[in-house]
Amino acid sequence: MTTRDAIEVTGLVKTYGSTRALDGLDLSVAAGEVHGFLGPNGAGKTTTIRILLGLLRADAGQATVLGRDPWSEAVSLHRRLAYVPGDVELWPNLTGGETIDVLGRLHGGVDRARVDQLCQRFDLDPTKKGRTYSKGNRQKVALITALASNAELLLLDEPTAGLDPLKEAVFQECIREVRDAGRTVLLSSHILAQVEILADRISIIRLGGIVESGTLSDMRHLTRTTVTVETDRPSDGLVGLAGIHGVRRVDGQIRFEVDGEHVDPIMRELAALGIRSIVAHPPTLEQLLLRHYGDDLRGDRAEVTS
Amino acid sequence: MTTATAPAALSGRTSDHPATATWRLVRMVLRRDRVKLPAWLLGLTVFVFYFNTALPIIAPTEADLAAFSQFSAGPVGAVLSGPGYGFDAGLSYEQFFVGTYALYFLLAAALMNILLVSRHTRVEEQAGRAELVRAGVVGRNAPLTATLVVASAADVVLALLLGAATASFGYAMDGALLFGAGVGAAGLVFAAVTAVTVQITEYSRAASGLAGTVLGIAYLIRAAGDSLTEHGSLLSWFSPLAWSQQTRPFVDGRWWPLLLSLGLAAVTTAGAFALAGRRDLGAGLRAARRGPAGAAPWLRSPSTLALRLQRAGLLGWTGALVVLGVTYGALVGPMTDTFAELSGQFAAVLGAEGDVLNGYLSFMAVYDVIIVGAFAILAVHRVRGEETSGRAEPVLATATGRVRWLGTHLLIVCAAAATILVATGLAFGVGAAVSTGEVGQVAELTASHAVRIPEVLVFAAVGVLLYGIAPRALPLVWLVFTYAAILALFGQLLQLPQWMHDLSPLDHIGRMPLEDAGIVPVVTLCGIAVAAAAAGLAAFRRRDLTGA
Repeated sequence: MTTRDAIEVTGLVKTYGSTRALDGLDLSVAAGEVHGFLGPNGAGKTTTIRILLGLLRADAGQATVLGRDPWSEAVSLHRRLAYVPGDVELWPNLTGGETIDVLGRLHGGVDRARVDQLCQRFDLDPTKKGRTYSKGNRQKVALITALASNAELLLLDEPTAGLDPLKEAVFQECIREVRDAGRTVLLSSHILAQVEILADRISIIRLGGIVESGTLSDMRHLTRTTVTVETDRPSDGLVGLAGIHGVRRVDGQIRFEVDGEHVDPIMRELAALGIRSIVAHPPTLEQLLLRHYGDDLRGDRAEVTS
Repeated sequence: MTTATAPAALSGRTSDHPATATWRLVRMVLRRDRVKLPAWLLGLTVFVFYFNTALPIIAPTEADLAAFSQFSAGPVGAVLSGPGYGFDAGLSYEQFFVGTYALYFLLAAALMNILLVSRHTRVEEQAGRAELVRAGVVGRNAPLTATLVVASAADVVLALLLGAATASFGYAMDGALLFGAGVGAAGLVFAAVTAVTVQITEYSRAASGLAGTVLGIAYLIRAAGDSLTEHGSLLSWFSPLAWSQQTRPFVDGRWWPLLLSLGLAAVTTAGAFALAGRRDLGAGLRAARRGPAGAAPWLRSPSTLALRLQRAGLLGWTGALVVLGVTYGALVGPMTDTFAELSGQFAAVLGAEGDVLNGYLSFMAVYDVIIVGAFAILAVHRVRGEETSGRAEPVLATATGRVRWLGTHLLIVCAAAATILVATGLAFGVGAAVSTGEVGQVAELTASHAVRIPEVLVFAAVGVLLYGIAPRALPLVWLVFTYAAILALFGQLLQLPQWMHDLSPLDHIGRMPLEDAGIVPVVTLCGIAVAAAAAGLAAFRRRDLTGA
């Protein structure tokens, strides 16, 4: 990872009438990393990416992409990046292959062999007209165009919506190849598992601002480990210990969540009760997100506890 | 016996009839069109009031009206209006109204039905909404049946509204109703025609385009037939539009030609249901074709991409207008013989010293420029469609700047419009040369069209200016277009002040071969077009792109 940032954004603001789509967004993506851009629908992911492409003009704030200003230097910048929109629309009377070629050439050139190889890996028939493709196949056309390019930076806006699990695996393989080649990827998604698997670092966006940014392990200490355990002696004493939450009894087992910094004392406590079986899993991104958006859900769990 | 089965049996919901749920769908169609349909019906009715109020103001006495009658009775009138019944002697206002404007009510009613039927059948299937509907307790034929029920009802209401509005001016009730019924019958025919075309192709645009082509051919046949001899010829009778006009309201009204319309509508509707039964939901009768796996080598720049995207439209319009040009050109010979005796009166109306031939020839260039102007504006709409559908976004994310993207699109639109206009003039000239034996017509008529290229450029450039400011503003260009077209076609009848003519882009270049084109207006209009285009490009550079 080099020190120079591929994307550097500070205080970005974009308003549509009375709605503030972006409200002082900060984002930095280091060169050579896969950066997960995670947030629910309507959080401002697409607006941010459109500003990074110079398709929208920010009302306030600074954005620098590959060292350039995306609004005034759009064309020279676009030679060095590739983009996959979340909702791919194709020209109805051009075939998929024609579309890949045209967009590739407008970008600066097409590597035919690479396109053919990607078409095979993604199982895309390039001779069909744009209007006959399903959602997933339209997405493949845009993905192949971007992956076949030599762009230093890939801006991918929910790129795998509509892909089946097999093609999703192919996509992950391709992104790893891109990273191994030293290129940078900004991967926006609400599909948590995908970001978890691919991203070196993650930024979580909510209501037009970044609420959390860092590596997945940076974030894990912020949240709780889920433990399911079966003990020899009754475990009623666990309820009320510091850092333990949502204790429930399921089929003779006990399940609860532990704050990151309290795992050690709780485990000692459990060991004293005689552990028959134990399953512990790290926080998933769902849980990371729930901590930011799921205040209601936590409230529900508190009731179950009592 | 449970209480639940009795009502189900009574309402017949357990049957597997293909028209199950038609009435529910009728209600849904009416609900979705609760603004559009009344707007069409009332809008058309308003025009009855407008024309009949305006006529006595423009022509206060029947003698003034008689002066106009020469306009509507000649070959120009035959192309623009119809067979010209009642224009011989003692012309009344109602005869003039029906004889001159009825055709436009027929065209509007046909358009209303084409859009309505396409909107509730193929558009729904293509968008995938029909799938949701058909997955309910809905018969296979219910969507088409419901659409045709609404279309027929709309046509009946339209007939009654137009009839009542016309009769409200104190005109004979039977003539007024006959006029309304003729319009409704034409609407019905094109509802049925569209019911067929939406079965043929998978794509709603192609389906309504195909129905529109049928309408265009019907217009062309009628215009050609009516131009050949006064009151139309046998050729006219091959057009459903002519049947409505041949009812001769307010002259010697006869209802029987409308039986032809009803018969054609019935047969065509039966055909539509037969075709619908032979295809799957969402599929057309023609399978989708495959294409090349890669782009042609020339397809490598924003301009070639723009050309590729406009190609189908360009070829279609060129083909249609070349046919139109040759046909109207071929009519020049026979027409001049038939209408030779009227030439003196024509000269008065057209303000020409020359003969009826030159009046007609000069007029046709203006007529063609209006059609090509519509093409140019529609082509700019296609460019807007690239942005609003989200297809411009990936292109602008490549090394293609905004000014280059819109600029090359505009250049292609302008080049295409100019090509079509010159090709139409050439075809018209060839047709005229063959039918009159004067070879000089080819060069003269090509030139008479070519000098009007700047007018088309102004329409395209004003469109780009509005689009550059905001995509939603683009339709305003139709106001400019409609204003200019009405003044160009009916300006002499309206007797408007000169400044109103000066505002129209179509009233500056002289009408060849009657007048000199004039170098000043040609240069000025080109300058206006360039300025508007430059302003549009600058505005487009500054605004946000609207997303899909």
